[in-house]
Amino acid sequence: MKRRTFLQISGMTAASALLAGCQSKNEKLIPYLIPPDEGITPGKATYYASSCNACPAGCGILVRVSEGRAKKIEGNPDHPVNRGRLCARGQAILQELYHPDRIRQPLKRTGPRGSGEFRKTSWAEGLGLLTTKLKELQQGHATDGLAMLTQQLSGSQASLVDGFMRSFGSSRHLSHELLSPGWLRLASRQSFGQPSLPFYDMAETRYLLSFGADFVESHLSPVQYGNAFGRMRQGRDTVRGHFTYIGGRMSLTAASADRWMPARPGSEGALALGMARLILAENLFDSSALAANGLRRDELLNRLKEYDLPAMAELTGLAKESIAEVAREFATTRPALAMAGETVAFQSNGPESVRAIQLLNVLAGNLNRPGGIYPATSSAGRENSFTELLALSKDMRAGKVKVALIKGDPVHTIPPATGFRRALDSVPFLVSFSTLMDDTALQADLILPDHSTLESWGDVIPLAGSRHTVYGLMQPVVTPLFDTRQFSDVLLAMASELGGSISAALPWKSTVELVKDTARKLVIPAKSGDFEIQWVELLRQGGYFASNKGMGKDYRWASASALPNPPKPIFAGDEKTFPLHLQVFSSTAFYDGRSAPLPWLQQLPDPMSTVVWNSWIEINPKTAASMGISHGDLVEVASPQGMLRLPVVIYPGIRPDMVAIPLGQGHTGGGRYAKDRGVNPLALLAMPEGMERQPAWGATRVRVTRVSGKGELVTAGNPQGSFRSELIGV
Amino acid sequence: MKISWLAGGLIVSIGAVVAVLVLMYILPLDLLERSPIQPLNFSHKLHAGVNGIQCLYCHHNATKSPVAGIPSMADCRACHLYISPDAPQIKKLMEYWDKHEPVPWIRVYSLPDHVYFPHMMHIRASIDCTTCHGNVATMERITRKASLKMGWCLECHRQHKASIDCWTCHI
Repeated sequence: MKRRTFLQISGMTAASALLAGCQSKNEKLIPYLIPPDEGITPGKATYYASSCNACPAGCGILVRVSEGRAKKIEGNPDHPVNRGRLCARGQAILQELYHPDRIRQPLKRTGPRGSGEFRKTSWAEGLGLLTTKLKELQQGHATDGLAMLTQQLSGSQASLVDGFMRSFGSSRHLSHELLSPGWLRLASRQSFGQPSLPFYDMAETRYLLSFGADFVESHLSPVQYGNAFGRMRQGRDTVRGHFTYIGGRMSLTAASADRWMPARPGSEGALALGMARLILAENLFDSSALAANGLRRDELLNRLKEYDLPAMAELTGLAKESIAEVAREFATTRPALAMAGETVAFQSNGPESVRAIQLLNVLAGNLNRPGGIYPATSSAGRENSFTELLALSKDMRAGKVKVALIKGDPVHTIPPATGFRRALDSVPFLVSFSTLMDDTALQADLILPDHSTLESWGDVIPLAGSRHTVYGLMQPVVTPLFDTRQFSDVLLAMASELGGSISAALPWKSTVELVKDTARKLVIPAKSGDFEIQWVELLRQGGYFASNKGMGKDYRWASASALPNPPKPIFAGDEKTFPLHLQVFSSTAFYDGRSAPLPWLQQLPDPMSTVVWNSWIEINPKTAASMGISHGDLVEVASPQGMLRLPVVIYPGIRPDMVAIPLGQGHTGGGRYAKDRGVNPLALLAMPEGMERQPAWGATRVRVTRVSGKGELVTAGNPQGSFRSELIGV
Repeated sequence: MKISWLAGGLIVSIGAVVAVLVLMYILPLDLLERSPIQPLNFSHKLHAGVNGIQCLYCHHNATKSPVAGIPSMADCRACHLYISPDAPQIKKLMEYWDKHEPVPWIRVYSLPDHVYFPHMMHIRASIDCTTCHGNVATMERITRKASLKMGWCLECHRQHKASIDCWTCHI
């Protein structure tokens, strides 16, 4: 470089530095162009009561809105389900509103399916296209060619979708969620003759026995039960409730227990019957309760003959002494409570096992008693069984479905083993109502984007969170940011467009009218007076919370029902080739995967392994050592159904013959934060032989092989993602 | 001889460095921070001084909100459609309006996020605006007079027997 050039450059640098120094570093003060009409005072926040819909629990929320923008969400202290508490998923729905990859207007597919090539279109064109398709079905007298796939709906949205499908003339409405408690309804119907979900009075109980029910993370109503668990432990002056957890993997719930009993997968139901037998043999049961439920001791004992203690210890892999001790503690502490969870229900013998656990509650005499189980008020919408999912997949493959309306992300949350994903390809016209370009929306021909939760009207009937009538309202707290429309508004618009009996059945002009109508019917019998005043009051409170007893009848053991008799569990994959049981569990951050697009939740460390932004597989240290695997290694997991690669977490809290992978990651869409991140373990799940009637998602065996030392595992404790086993002493 | 020269030189140069540092500390060199050049030459002297417009006429949120607020572009325009619409600065304002852009005013008074300063409570306590903001009616361009340091806050709070509990401001 010449001397002259050097001086020029340095001179320029100095000059630009000086110029930059002349500008004030103070922040800017940006005025409104046009001041907002009313109700907004800059600097002063407004709080709106609404409901969370990140999971079916339906907690009440308070949203802080400042200058017309939603800023913070907390639990509603007056809401009977969550009592002012809120989980991370609920706090994070704020990011659903501001997600940078939200679909901002209707889109029409231009490229091949799954390519993600869409062009922007208008609402008029989008709705017109859908109307044409629906009218074609009507004219061809093939209204059954319309299928509706939704998540579990409740309240007025459930009745709207039902009404729409019925008046259109199609019976193909599938309301499905991977973690929906359909199995619990089924078991309750068989045992108690009624399908209402149980409400566990955990706060008042003194001995809690959980068979794989992870109520702190995701089971039924996690915020409600997390809070009730705290009250069970510390809410009473003299009693600290005792808690025993049975299940092969130490979940966050299990880690809060006094005793963890890692029973062999599929043996939990037999274990419950073994405990029942011991309680009966030692006369520790509640005899009046047994008589009231029409059961006799001798008859029961005779039927449970084969479930003796040594056989149970052999079957479950637990010590005889500890089984007996827990059975005696459970029977002699009153009130005591037994609950069954997904890990039990998703075994091949799940339904019978769940009923066996319900029988324990009968023996402890805690039906409809404080500290026991009550039927929860449930007027939630339809909930489909697994068989209906398979039937719809079959109909789709057979080409019977011409148009499918999809709310939710079934492509990500329905295991491929059901054949659902391939069946969807044979539907000629798919409409998605997703707010983000998720896995399902990528396959859609038309996307009519829904509002985010905080922009929507609606109502929620919380799932199994209370024994009283709880009706939560959702109200928009901000004006919609983009050119989106609410799913139910689109349905109402379609109904009026189609005319005839459909618009007569659905006369409402908008969702808010529909919700108001539902609320009126609910509130008027209870209160008299001007409804408009009551409506404002309902919105202020966040819903209608009655303290009366719920609608459900009391539980009573159905005399006609046979005693539970869980068969020997069967598994997909033979023991030699696939030596390890696979458990997929709901992650605290993502539930079934619907919250994965939100970066706050990606950043939330898993409470047990502290992993962030990734998937992982948990392996027992002994098993890992025998296979030469160390913490952070990359492994290949193969099942009869599929194969995945993911990093290893060495986890002492799991049975040596088990591995576990969290649900929720592995999206092909879902916005920049979820896309191509981690793996979706549902790809591994296989259906065992003859399991076409129930979701046996816990009955797959896998094989694990080490690939390399570079799993790129990032945990909150080791953010650099470099792990060497000798450093952490494994 | 030579060593004493060297020592003298050293002492003088150290003294010079110290003097410069002291000057940098004392002199008001943060002029850009305290009196930044605004995108428009808005004159408080003209508005509040000569024309005698009340502070709260434009900063009308001060009585009901933590922030006093600044008038919206529509408010500025509403008057200046009729009042000296041909002045060069007003033309500049209208250019912003036509582009649908707000004027990016530069903030002069700003407190860190861990301090809660509510305007409405100070107005309610009849503290005059000039107590903190100086005699704005004489300022062509806004210059911050107050240090906005904690000691300055406390001094006034003590004087007025207002609460000096930590939680009063640091909530």
